[in-house]
Amino acid sequence: MSDGRTGQAGRAGCVCLPLALTVLIASFDVRAADNARQIVEEAQKRTDAKSQRYEGLLQVFDAKGKISDKRWSFERLGSHGQSKAVLRFTAPAEVKGVALLVVNHPDRASDQWMWTPAIERDRRIALQDRSTRFFGTDFSFEDLEERDVDQYDYTLLADETVDGAACWRIQSTPRQTKSSQYTRSIVWIRKDTYALARIENYSKDDVVRRLNYADIRSVQGIWTARQLEMTDVKRGSRTRLTLDKLEYNVALKDEDFTLQAIRRQ
Amino acid sequence: MTGARGWKGGKGTTRSVASLSAAAVLCSLALVDAQTLTQRGFADGSIFVFPQQAPNDLTRVVGDLLLRDEVFVKPAPWLQFAAGIDLRANSHDQVEDAWRIDLADRSILRPRAAVRRLSATFTRGPLTIDAGKQFIRWGKTDIVTPTDRFAPRDFLNVVDTELLPVSGVRGAVQAGAETFEGVWLPRFTPSRLPLFTQRWTAVPADAASVPLVDAGGALPDGSQAGVRWAHVGAGFEYSLSFFDGFNYLPNIDVDVRPAPLRVELTRSYPAIRTYGADAAVPTRWFTVKGEAAYFTSSSAAADEYVLYVVQLERQTGEWVIVGGYAGEAVTTRRSTLVFAPDRGLTRSIVARASYTIDPTQSIAFEGAVRQNADGVYAKAEYSQARGQHWRTTISGVAIGGRADDFLGQYRRNSHLKASLRYSF
Repeated sequence: MSDGRTGQAGRAGCVCLPLALTVLIASFDVRAADNARQIVEEAQKRTDAKSQRYEGLLQVFDAKGKISDKRWSFERLGSHGQSKAVLRFTAPAEVKGVALLVVNHPDRASDQWMWTPAIERDRRIALQDRSTRFFGTDFSFEDLEERDVDQYDYTLLADETVDGAACWRIQSTPRQTKSSQYTRSIVWIRKDTYALARIENYSKDDVVRRLNYADIRSVQGIWTARQLEMTDVKRGSRTRLTLDKLEYNVALKDEDFTLQAIRRQ
Repeated sequence: MTGARGWKGGKGTTRSVASLSAAAVLCSLALVDAQTLTQRGFADGSIFVFPQQAPNDLTRVVGDLLLRDEVFVKPAPWLQFAAGIDLRANSHDQVEDAWRIDLADRSILRPRAAVRRLSATFTRGPLTIDAGKQFIRWGKTDIVTPTDRFAPRDFLNVVDTELLPVSGVRGAVQAGAETFEGVWLPRFTPSRLPLFTQRWTAVPADAASVPLVDAGGALPDGSQAGVRWAHVGAGFEYSLSFFDGFNYLPNIDVDVRPAPLRVELTRSYPAIRTYGADAAVPTRWFTVKGEAAYFTSSSAAADEYVLYVVQLERQTGEWVIVGGYAGEAVTTRRSTLVFAPDRGLTRSIVARASYTIDPTQSIAFEGAVRQNADGVYAKAEYSQARGQHWRTTISGVAIGGRADDFLGQYRRNSHLKASLRYSF
């Protein structure tokens, strides 16, 4: 059992949204988790929340160790494949107000629009552009999606230890109906908490991005990773996202997650 | 050669600029009690160096200073106020001498202090109403925007323009995948033209001695209105729009006056109606964007024509690439002299590419070539951020071509630009 301070949390299979996914520790019959899909379903179930809000600090470390900081505020309404999210930069000053609207779907990739106040315009992020880096970070646009468990097939590969915690090692492969830059992902899910510990995303046979989860704390009964670190393996750069002022089940309205809403500063 | 003249206003200007900005922010803060307040702004200093003299403008170095501050206050979830101000100084008489707060954006010179934004936004369910001075953008393309009829621009530098705000009411209802939008502007805002006495008004060398005199503009009194329906589909989107108002780009009436010989230029803004459509469709390799508008006019001095653009976009790796073709088909030709950069850029291939070197550095390239090769424009830019606030940008613009081509007429205006921005 996790002590609630250490351990990992994160994305279930390639059930994405590393920024929002959390894991609830509860008594769970391990026998029910005999196969990979059940494990992932349980991990997803434990992260259900009506809404979520946090302030994030993004620290980008390039291969030479140079750091640049960005901050954003994040609000999400709904969970998993039914959710909508708005992410708005609050720092540095020159990107203040830039916003991304993500509308997730249970059966396909999300729709995404970016609002750029300097030109007073929104722009749809096309599916073929989702593999590019999001605003100079090591997260791609696709990594900001939250996808449903049903969009992947799962295979239980092995039992392994990550940061001292026993984990299931599961392979998730996107179904043909879904478009993804990743051909498959390897996911480590902790056996004690069903929290995600690590994800490695592959393009063909190579790991292209690795996501580690750390600093798990209980927030309103939901165990949440407070620090996520994405590494771009080819570039050698990494981006650390630290979550602050995290709240669940806050009062958010559907009309705050529209193209009209992201125009408002 | 004439170098840059001193900044207008000197120390007094600097103090006043700082005081005004601080006052605006403090006033906003004082009104806010535990409400949501956001602010953004920057101070930007730029120097333009033109290697060539223009026949009508001997100045080759121009300095420009802009201080911009915008504040957004949300006292209730359904209500937001926005206010913004621009404060300017310029070494080449591009800014008015008088200290006044300009609301209308109708002046020939840039105002010393201009209200950039002053609006209230009301939200109730799917309904959003913006009232006041604001920015309204229509359309999807970038290289030419035929349906963007509520977006006049500042053309004092024709290849480095900036949007001007408009005053009016915008209402939008978003119902699922459909958005219905209506706009009403009681007061017309024209684009700001190149100054007739400066290099961005191109004159032949043998006519440079004849003074061009701005005889003013006949600004229309009527209101403008438009409606737009936009549909967002799974992976694609499109919209249809209708505009009834005035062209923010003028017809120019030329009157040659003897004794002393001079040319008087009068601006008029013809009534137009436009019927527009735009669409964005992602394909496997590119996002294809298209935008077109049919311009009709009841004026005897305005052309009727179709303006269209097809644009391809792609982000790959660290590259963002945009390229396209803009075209025009004139159905009825009436006018003689117009200032119309949107039409001037038609029959052109336009491309833009930017590359992010690392989180702090980027480069960008931009180019336009007329299909008959009579005009060419190319720009390269390097930009670097320092810390959380500073950004340095250096760019070079090369323009070439024939004197009778829209781009080619500015062939003496190739320039270098260096700017330093502090964002806060």
